[in-house]
Amino acid sequence: MEEHIPESELLLFAFDPNAVRQDRQRAIVEHVEQCAKCRADLDFYAVAEDDLSDADVWEPVVGSATLETLRAYAARIAAEDEEADELLAPLFSSPDTDIWKHIGNRQRFLTGGVVRRLSAHAHGICENEPLDAMTFADAAIAVAESLADDRYPGRAVFELRGTAWKERANAQLHLGQFSGALESLSRAEVAYRRLTSPALGLATVALVRASVFYQQQRLDEAATMAEEAERGFAHLGDNERRMRAIYLRGGVRYEAQDLPAAMALFRQVIAYGEEGHDAMWIARASYALGNCEVDSGDLAEASMHFHSALTIFRELGPATERICTEWGIARVFLQNGKINEGIGRLREVEIEFESRGMVTDAALAALDAADALLALGQSKQLVELASRLFRVFMDAEMVTGALTAMAYIKDAAADARLTPEGIDTVRKYLRRSERQPDLLFLPPQNPS
Amino acid sequence: MQEPRSEAKRGTPGPRATATGGVPAAFEEAYLQFGPRLRKIAMRKFRIPEHDAETIVHDVFTTYLMHMHAVNALEPYLIGAICNASRYYWRRADAAEAVFCTEQPCAATPDNALVEEIERKLILSRILGRIGTRCRDLLHRYYMNGDTTAAIADSLRLKQATIPVFLHKCRRRALGAYRSMSETT
Repeated sequence: MEEHIPESELLLFAFDPNAVRQDRQRAIVEHVEQCAKCRADLDFYAVAEDDLSDADVWEPVVGSATLETLRAYAARIAAEDEEADELLAPLFSSPDTDIWKHIGNRQRFLTGGVVRRLSAHAHGICENEPLDAMTFADAAIAVAESLADDRYPGRAVFELRGTAWKERANAQLHLGQFSGALESLSRAEVAYRRLTSPALGLATVALVRASVFYQQQRLDEAATMAEEAERGFAHLGDNERRMRAIYLRGGVRYEAQDLPAAMALFRQVIAYGEEGHDAMWIARASYALGNCEVDSGDLAEASMHFHSALTIFRELGPATERICTEWGIARVFLQNGKINEGIGRLREVEIEFESRGMVTDAALAALDAADALLALGQSKQLVELASRLFRVFMDAEMVTGALTAMAYIKDAAADARLTPEGIDTVRKYLRRSERQPDLLFLPPQNPS
Repeated sequence: MQEPRSEAKRGTPGPRATATGGVPAAFEEAYLQFGPRLRKIAMRKFRIPEHDAETIVHDVFTTYLMHMHAVNALEPYLIGAICNASRYYWRRADAAEAVFCTEQPCAATPDNALVEEIERKLILSRILGRIGTRCRDLLHRYYMNGDTTAAIADSLRLKQATIPVFLHKCRRRALGAYRSMSETT
């Protein structure tokens, strides 16, 4: 084999093979077939000749108008966020202050950074402090709506508005204001649709809307929305959020008592958790699957799933989900005919919920025990349990329909007219009243 | 049963940030890594003219910056976003109603040839960052701006015949940088 082809000749050949003599063309072709070094050099030159005319190649080294614009925009956003942090940090601890009501009139608060921080704060607290979250979301909306449409390039102000409205919807969802939540979601959707790339916002709107429909027991609409959210997140490769949509779909199917469909969806979530080594998804979906198995009567499977979940929740928390799983296990004992063991475990669950101030959950667990006592004809214990529940709600100063429901249970138990249907009515009422505090309790029409 | 958790019930990861430059640096890094890919998807897969593709990519990134902390998987997010933006651009019959792309696979999914081309060009960009300012300027004028050797020679007050020599040396320097990068990787 001849010596390496001179670089100058290779370069010429790469630029235009006809630029070298014909005999050398043949020699170069034959040589590069044999010589890896010359082949690599020729490839490099050949590729570089074309690629060097592509603006994308040059952008990282010489910049571009777009890069400059975006760089300045990013710096502006970072500066706004920093300023918003300084402005808002001292105020976040005072959701009651008047400033939130008039924030739209305060010039120095009128920035995208303030909207982002307010929306993020509302998002962070909406589960535990939904009323405060609503205050911050409303403030975010007031600021976002006061910004000019062209305040940011690419109509980005509509991202701010969409997110602020979405956070208001989230807060309303947790406050049980479902109609209001749906209105806020419509506003969020209108804003997001003004963006060039609205998919993440719209998929999130679909997910929250599905949650609202789920809470309203509008199960068909919830299923449609959750599927849409799932499609949207899948398109964006956002598997974490996609799992939330699938988990919600499972919950919807469970509520509709379509157990095979619900179980298939929860198994999908477990598979995702196993693939990504995300123990929390395994735990949540195992717990849900356990409930499905209890309802379908496969108690061995139910027990296995609950124990899988329990192991993880014991290790990682949260405590409330661990207690819920122990509740599921107690239900397995009841269904298995081990009534006393089941009732004992339900009492432990009830105590744990009570100690955390979760009186509605405590009552729901106690109602399962009431069902068992009723079936066993243990009226004395049933009356004691009902009286205890009433006292717990009194002590918790629950003056809503929930107290009326407890009074109904107590009286009906004392008068020996409590039925499984009556217990179920109270159970359904309590579950809904958590989300709709103003809901009235209507006792069963024809208690036997 | 315990209720399914809503969108609001889980925290979102904080903004990705580099050790030195914070959010703007992380954003710029994302743009430089994926901007060219998005442009090519818009132009080749959706036949959007170059200038409009530039605007669309710009808008995709301005939206991304507004919620970058909420994005869990950057690359598919951006590809999904350019798909939506491109469909919106053409105002396809269903674009106003259909929230999400329903094509399987998504029309924006880059094929292997495109991915390889992008990777190759990213490497070339890195090479250009290592060959010195004079070489870079010369290659930029010749290849990107399309300046003739005569025009370059004139502006540098050199003989025209020396420019091809300089170009040759600069290409060699680029090859050297490429070899050295190949060795280190």
